[in-house]
Amino acid sequence: MGSKLEPSFLIFIIKTLMANIPIWPGSSSFAPGDTPFGFYDTDPDFQNDADKVAKFCGLRLGYPIENVELQDINFYTAFEQAVTVYGNELYAFNVRDNYLSLEGASTGSDLNKSIITPNMVNIIKLSEQYAAEAGTGGNYNWYSGSVTLTGSVQDYNLEAWATENNISGGLEIKKVWYEDDPAISKLYSPWAGILPGAASSVGLVGVAGYGPSTNFLLMPLSFDMQNIQAIEMAQQVRVSNYTFQLINDKLRIFPVPGAGDEGNKLWFEYSIIDEKYDASITPTSRVNNVSNVPYGNPTYDQINSVGRSWIFEYTLALAKEILGYVRGKYGTIPIPGAEVTLNQSDLIAAATAEKEALITRLRDYFDQTSRQALLERRQAESDARQSEMNQVPMTIFIG
Amino acid sequence: MALFGESRDISMFRHVNRELMRDIISEQVVYYKYNLTKTNTNMYGEASEGRYFQDPVLIYALVERSPQSNPVDELGVEFNYALTFRFLVDDLTDIELVPAVGDVVMYYEGYWELDSINTTQFFVGKNPAYPYTDATGENPLEPGLDNFGYNVSSICTAHYVPADRLNIVKQRI
Repeated sequence: MGSKLEPSFLIFIIKTLMANIPIWPGSSSFAPGDTPFGFYDTDPDFQNDADKVAKFCGLRLGYPIENVELQDINFYTAFEQAVTVYGNELYAFNVRDNYLSLEGASTGSDLNKSIITPNMVNIIKLSEQYAAEAGTGGNYNWYSGSVTLTGSVQDYNLEAWATENNISGGLEIKKVWYEDDPAISKLYSPWAGILPGAASSVGLVGVAGYGPSTNFLLMPLSFDMQNIQAIEMAQQVRVSNYTFQLINDKLRIFPVPGAGDEGNKLWFEYSIIDEKYDASITPTSRVNNVSNVPYGNPTYDQINSVGRSWIFEYTLALAKEILGYVRGKYGTIPIPGAEVTLNQSDLIAAATAEKEALITRLRDYFDQTSRQALLERRQAESDARQSEMNQVPMTIFIG
Repeated sequence: MALFGESRDISMFRHVNRELMRDIISEQVVYYKYNLTKTNTNMYGEASEGRYFQDPVLIYALVERSPQSNPVDELGVEFNYALTFRFLVDDLTDIELVPAVGDVVMYYEGYWELDSINTTQFFVGKNPAYPYTDATGENPLEPGLDNFGYNVSSICTAHYVPADRLNIVKQRI
């Protein structure tokens, strides 16, 4: 018998549906629209780098020794995300560093290209609450009111008083005017021959602040202040019979008003609680939280090589993560007569660690350039320089 | 509705399989398809005038070798050497080859005749070639079922055949 090699005849073939999704061929050609968001698609530098980054990632993932089951658009997506993450980190850092100066600023500004000079506006706003409580300023009003005293009546209901006077929103009594004349009026006696240290006795008999001064002795201001405080303390502790007790909405007066007090007014100052709440809220279309601080996406062509290097590395980590998910959708891949497990878990673990390390590195880098860090470094440099200079022997000049 | 094993996933499997079989393992065999129409048989169904084969084709396969043995019987010393060839169905489809019992595979200058063909390795239990379509060309319960599943392999067991019994003369390969 001779050779039996013959041309083939028709054989029955079951053609299966074969959707072949192309994978990374080793090169690419970026075109605007290839990224999901298109933030940087028209930036010539981004366009130029996109294909280089794709090639870089492909090579770092093992191509051409091994297939990389990704496409150019996966690399572009990772690249776009890396640039955006870089911008987010950068501008979030800027917001953190400057928020006290930015809250209340116009949202129409473009802060990407602005230098932010710190201001005190919000520091002062923060202080207003204390000023308001102290009665020296603030952002809500104090009002004055009075109750008419009735003989033998010690308690006065301030809620009822507020209702009578059509005042709503809750009262907060700031001050009850029960004091005597100011201590200053008792300090400088109008009467001759009385030294400053004993002047209070004149005030105490109700004639302080009247008449000409007849003797002067130049004393330091602190001396006067100490005397005034001493007089105030004496009035409150040793002399005054007047005081009050304020519990809930009931004002109790001590001593019990007598018949001679009938019709007199007891004045007090108050604020309205609702106004305090309202004063804390300022409706605005300006910057009122970190989400509307007007930062946009970064301009890629202005990112320097330090930033771009970070972006390339982060792109690689993202590409590695994508590849890990592609290879890991199924735990095993069927091959003829067996199954294989790919390196998805290694890829995802490495990508996760790399992303975290890159973010940490970037934040550390930014934090080292914060205003506080720069000032501290400058101070440290100054101290070190001064310390160094102190090592130089002092020349003794002998004239 | 099928969710997993869609043709997009299968494409990835195909890439992995071909990378594995071609770039990593790179094990090849020469396949001789038995030509039934050319081969004449006698009244006993024997190809007494010799068997005909179609042109050989080179194809990637995973070859599983079992131990050789030399049993002795009344006819003398035999030589047994069974192999299992595992083909990727995608490769077979590309060259329009359906393995059948009686086909011959050349592997390192030896010839093996196929004894059994096993094509039952379906990913997610589905062979997309059989989507159970109705007259409209769609599966009545689940249109698009032909997009799911994967017929992975054709696993062929074979026994050793001396070359003189086949009279296959190596010409080009």
